Amino acid sequence: MQSFEGEVKAGKLEICMEDSEMAISVSGFCLASHQCAGEENWVDSRTIYVGHKEPPPGAEAYIPQRYPDNRIVSSKYTFWNFIPKNLFEQFRRIANFYFLIIFLVQLIIDTPTSPVTSGLPLFFVITVTAIKQGYEDWLRHKADNAMNQCPVHFIQHGKLVRKQSRKLRVGDIVMVKEDETFPCDLIFLSSNRADGTCHVTTASLDGESSHKTHYAVQDTKGFHTEEDVDGLHATIECEQPQPDLYKFVGRINVYNDLNDPVVRPLGSENLLLRGATLKNTEKIFGVAIYTGMETKMALNYQSKSQKRSAVEKSMNTFLIVYLCILVSKALINTVLKYVWQSEPFRDEPWYNQKTESERQRNLFLRAFTDFLAFMVLFNYIIPVSMYVTVEMQKFLGSYFITWDEDMFDEEMGEGPLVNTSDLNEELGQVEYIFTDKTGTLTENNMAFKECCIEGHVYVPHVICNGQVLPDSSGIDMIDSSPGVSGREREELFFRAICLCHTVQVKDDDHGDDVDGPRKSPDSKSCVYISSSPDEVALVEGVQRLGFTYLRLKDNYMEILNRENDIERFELLEVLSFDSVRRRMSVIVKSTTGEIYLFCKGADSSIFPRVIEGKVDQVRSRVERNAVEGLRTLCVAYKRLEPEEYEDVCKLLQAAKVALQDREKKLAEAYEHIEKDLILLGATAVEDRLQEKAADTIEALQKAGIKVWVLTGDKMETASATCYACKLFRRSTQLLELTTKRLEEQSLHDVLFELSKTVLRCSGSLSRDSFSGLSTDMHDYGLIIDGAALSLIMKPREDGSSSGNYRELFLEICRNCSAVLCCRMAPLQKAQIVKLIKFSKEHPITLAIGDGANDVSMILEAHVGIGVIGKEGRQAARNSDYAIPKFKHLKKMLLVHGHFYYIRISELVQYFFYKNVCFIFPQFLYQFFCGFSQQTLYDTAYLTLYNISFTSLPILLYSLMEQHVGMEVLKRDPSLYRDIAKNALLRWRVFIYWTFLGVFDALVFFFGAYFMFENTTVTSNGQMFGNWTFGTLVFTVMVFTVTLKLALDTHYWTWINHFVIWGSLLFYVVFSLLWGGIIWPFLSYQRMYYVFIHMLSSGPAWLGITLLVTVSLLPDVLKKVLCRQLWPTATERTQNIQLRDRVSEFTPLASLQSWGAQSTRPLAAQCSSYSGRAVCSGWESEEYTVLPHTHPGLSHNTRYGCCRSSLETPT
Amino acid sequence: MEVMPQYDLSRLPENTALKQQKLPAHRLDLSASVVLSIFFATGGFCLCMGVILILSAKSTKELEINYTNICANCAQLREDSSNFDKECTCSVPFYLPENMEGNVYMYYKLYGFHQNLYRYILSRSNRQLLGKDIWDVKDCSPFQVSRNSTPIIPCGAIANSIFNDTITLSYNLNSSIHIEVPMLKSGLAWWTDKYVKFQNPRASDLASAFAGSAKPLHWTKPVYELDTDDPGNNGFVNEDLIVWMRTAAFPTFKKLYRRLKRVDYFAVGLPAGNYSFNISYNFPVTVFRGEKSVVLSTLTWIGGGGLFLGLTYTVTGALTLLASFAILAIHLMLKRTKKNFL
Repeated sequence: MQSFEGEVKAGKLEICMEDSEMAISVSGFCLASHQCAGEENWVDSRTIYVGHKEPPPGAEAYIPQRYPDNRIVSSKYTFWNFIPKNLFEQFRRIANFYFLIIFLVQLIIDTPTSPVTSGLPLFFVITVTAIKQGYEDWLRHKADNAMNQCPVHFIQHGKLVRKQSRKLRVGDIVMVKEDETFPCDLIFLSSNRADGTCHVTTASLDGESSHKTHYAVQDTKGFHTEEDVDGLHATIECEQPQPDLYKFVGRINVYNDLNDPVVRPLGSENLLLRGATLKNTEKIFGVAIYTGMETKMALNYQSKSQKRSAVEKSMNTFLIVYLCILVSKALINTVLKYVWQSEPFRDEPWYNQKTESERQRNLFLRAFTDFLAFMVLFNYIIPVSMYVTVEMQKFLGSYFITWDEDMFDEEMGEGPLVNTSDLNEELGQVEYIFTDKTGTLTENNMAFKECCIEGHVYVPHVICNGQVLPDSSGIDMIDSSPGVSGREREELFFRAICLCHTVQVKDDDHGDDVDGPRKSPDSKSCVYISSSPDEVALVEGVQRLGFTYLRLKDNYMEILNRENDIERFELLEVLSFDSVRRRMSVIVKSTTGEIYLFCKGADSSIFPRVIEGKVDQVRSRVERNAVEGLRTLCVAYKRLEPEEYEDVCKLLQAAKVALQDREKKLAEAYEHIEKDLILLGATAVEDRLQEKAADTIEALQKAGIKVWVLTGDKMETASATCYACKLFRRSTQLLELTTKRLEEQSLHDVLFELSKTVLRCSGSLSRDSFSGLSTDMHDYGLIIDGAALSLIMKPREDGSSSGNYRELFLEICRNCSAVLCCRMAPLQKAQIVKLIKFSKEHPITLAIGDGANDVSMILEAHVGIGVIGKEGRQAARNSDYAIPKFKHLKKMLLVHGHFYYIRISELVQYFFYKNVCFIFPQFLYQFFCGFSQQTLYDTAYLTLYNISFTSLPILLYSLMEQHVGMEVLKRDPSLYRDIAKNALLRWRVFIYWTFLGVFDALVFFFGAYFMFENTTVTSNGQMFGNWTFGTLVFTVMVFTVTLKLALDTHYWTWINHFVIWGSLLFYVVFSLLWGGIIWPFLSYQRMYYVFIHMLSSGPAWLGITLLVTVSLLPDVLKKVLCRQLWPTATERTQNIQLRDRVSEFTPLASLQSWGAQSTRPLAAQCSSYSGRAVCSGWESEEYTVLPHTHPGLSHNTRYGCCRSSLETPT
Repeated sequence: MEVMPQYDLSRLPENTALKQQKLPAHRLDLSASVVLSIFFATGGFCLCMGVILILSAKSTKELEINYTNICANCAQLREDSSNFDKECTCSVPFYLPENMEGNVYMYYKLYGFHQNLYRYILSRSNRQLLGKDIWDVKDCSPFQVSRNSTPIIPCGAIANSIFNDTITLSYNLNSSIHIEVPMLKSGLAWWTDKYVKFQNPRASDLASAFAGSAKPLHWTKPVYELDTDDPGNNGFVNEDLIVWMRTAAFPTFKKLYRRLKRVDYFAVGLPAGNYSFNISYNFPVTVFRGEKSVVLSTLTWIGGGGLFLGLTYTVTGALTLLASFAILAIHLMLKRTKKNFL
């Protein structure tokens, strides 16, 4: 079951609904069901005839429905529709569509560029994608076929028949053997076990490998043979398929002989899901209710919504800008063309006459064609290859995470998982982290610490290494020994803990294939399995105190008490755990016939329901424990009279058979039952902090990331954990926004008070800092609980200023360094994430969690990270990235995220830059060729520029670049601030790159123009033509853009050398070859010997050198000056790194001792220095020492650090 | 559709430098000393280069004579295309103040003639000019066939508009003695063009090889009569044709017309004195408001006398040096203030 002290593992509720002897009188139910049919009006249901047997006439009018067969189709395409469908899918992407249009325009109208130039890359991209998708689809087809054709055992006319799985129909009765997977969603009719249970693992569904018990329908569990089952005459009504794996509502009508039907409720405990595997049970019979694509598994495979990274968004914005530039360029040229041609002597000179058909063409048609032709001419400014490169960079780059040794957890044998590669760079942009507590910050490895019974504290003996003393009498009675009644209570308490749970005892017969997490060496102790570690810890703890839970057999729970006697309790009801009630109860009947209700749950949900018991003592103990960070549970009981029990039974049964709102009705029933309890005591369970959790949080906070803890735990426990992991420090002033406080004051007042506190301080801070007085900065921590949050989130009744509280709340949060949200329901976690996500700064959020209760926030946040934890794979499966431990987040964000961001932003900017360089000269050339769309470069150059001459260096850069070392990034988290808020893709930076591109293009073009104009550039007097001019511009360009990248590269591995010098060499070799032969397949030889002739002229060499230098010079100069005058934290680090290495005598020694003592002081200095410079640029002390940071602050010429310090006054 | 990830328990990542992103690498360090030395070196180099280039550009001599207006009457005649068969000559006298020593090159230069128009550039048949398939005129629109549908050789707009003025230079020793300056018609075009890209069809007699074809519209004589004196310069391999067929990049361009044959009086170049160009004026430029001129020029190792490269080098060098000093100053200044804590 669940951990009551908060963490709501919603995904894994195992409702142990015991349909014991609770058959409701048939007539009574029918009445109820008719009423229900009237009020529920459930059209969304289906009726299944078990074994295709019609129900007796007149039972009820059923609407026949058509169901799909059991074919699983995960493939998208068939052999026939692959090409059209795939093409359609691909061209739905806006970029591909754009390129297709360009290509078509090129085909249709007479354009200067050959359709090949844009067709070839597009064709390449489309083909590669199609092949990849086709292959994937083929694999899916294969898997589908294997699945659809695997044999399944049916019952047909009382005999066992083998058929292919795909022929299964709804209503068929299926037999499944041990270790087989269920072929479709089945209602569990019977198993070979006498108690009608079976065990199932859902490892392939949600990743949980623990065994779950499912229960057969009460009335059919006796049918053990094929004939028996075939004789079953029943119908099932159930809801239409829903994707929720853990919810199912239905009922079965069993027609016995000629009597009225027996109606039974069906819940998810009766449902066996496709994909799950039968374990520990020889065989089961079930009836198919959902088949094929309607199974819950198939419904769950629907792909998640695509998350797009901030980089991708800015990339798309830039694309639109470039599209506008493109259109305006084409428009300008078209207009100018007609202006230019308006002079008759230019329109049609004698040497360039038009054909007759051209003269007769409509002017507007001609202008439109010209416009399209210009579009085509300049279309390379938006390169297809950028998309390919970005995709490749993301795909290949994501492997660095999976390969990372530091993020591999040897203990678990797990490494990080990358479920999407689209968000790599988003890891470098995180501003808010929402973390779960249990299992994420803590280990979720529970150890029973103590229990408190009526104020007396019991601590079981524990030997250091965690092994239990063999003699089970180890009780330390801290307080004075209790009296006789106390002893009674004490035993009742232990029994309560022994009984009130849903722990399973591992079956020793099948022991080898069950992974028991804690096999005790002591043979007497059992191995307990539960989805909640708290329960296991409690049952084990109480075992050490003398009471051992043995097993559940035939609805009797067996307990071995201190005297080694076996006590048997009949389990009557389980009021299962849920996150709203935060408690669970069992109703048991002792051998003496007394009926007890035992209830355990969070203190806040138990105390209000207690009418008797030493509440104050227990409460004080609970609070003490909570402050120490222990997870506490309270235990209470009540004795039920038989009549009372009858009422309870009726109440529950009525709720259970309801088809609609069953949950709500159950909750109401539980609410009614669990009251007037007698408090017994409380337990405390310790959950240790994960290793390096504190270190990680500290680093993340230094990196400028706000860490919020969202937990279902109670406030005290959670805040203790927060202190332990240094989220709150001694100096942190805690602000509380809790239900307790709201009881005293209205929400309005509290909020305003808090905001005043926070704002006053930040206001005074800035004043003080100018006068240089303030040195101690307050940092605030906010604690808010779920109830208060829902008050804030709730729109106000008057509606006049709804959302006002939210703003105020956000304002407070923004000024707090840490926020703790406790008592959160899973959905509230997602709400918080959403609230921050859509607040006015639109920060990038990251959610990390390990349990199913975190899935909603993982899906909601920009980046969802799952911790591959003890509580199954739900979170990991739904996350974008999964890591084994919380501590790995540090490297994930600070190193990988930083690198990815640096890399992809350079990739994007560089791509636009190099295409501006490429196309702008083409645009300029139109002014000299009468706007006739003459290309500047040869077709081969146009085609290959983006594909081969300049593609590899940037791709490899974007995979390999490390602007500072990995160690430095880890050691100095504040460097992360340098790239915050998408710093490298801001408009300013983008415009800088674009202007750099324009400047370079002007240099290439006019440099070459003035060189060519009027002068002979050869020593033999021969002249060059237009293709030589284009080639010269192109050569300068290829060298400039490649060298520009080389200048930006900080990390030169042999691969970088290889690709950068290699592509330059390739360009030269290609040009030599391309112009070296008369290519037989070309109708023109315009490039013949052009390149070689160009190189044979001295001025061309001089010109190339000069133009490359002039193009690069301003950027280098800007870099050098900015680095000197307004260095970012990263650049300082680089400088220090450099200085450090220079100061060392032997370079080898410096490398080896890097990070060791000799460099420590410097490193520490560096980090503190840059940290101070970043965070406290306002402080006058810094101001005097660091005069050069001030221009950076005021001018905002540098990207990250200074800005962030302005925006977040800390 | 998402493929279920497989959780393999024994998947410890390989510890290779590439996978761990720890490839041995050299960091590009822009330390002050490195940057400064690079800047100073670049500045110095550019400055020196600039001075050398300017000096050598100054050593060349160039003379340009625009004869559009001088031969105005001819120009007017040519504006009406029906007068194409009327001869018009014009003499342009000029005085050369200094000797032009070394190889002297004679260029014709056109202003406002767009040889780089898109359709113009396309309008040629390379297969024809290669001599392989001289009847291939499909790319030559709108100058594919003549009025009576015979294919034009050489076809296309480029060939059609060939510069067809004949320019000779005469050296006027005195008012009575006019010596025609000997000029070479060879070595004007790229070697590869002349011997690879342009080839006559294999036939004993060019005229018969081209029989059945029409001459281009603006031509006065067929292609096989371009240079009847020299069979190696006739037909497609005529250097004037080849030079013209290499389209210029800009509307103002010059093309090599003749080279000085350095014999007799002109062994060292052109001596100073009175000269005149005798021009047979055929090429109409005034219709598109263009101009044409003749250029005489000597060359050095860097080609003609353009000052652009030299000046740009000098300016770049000077600016780089200036920037270097600025960086040095800033560096020294910062070093003093930063010393406290670094």
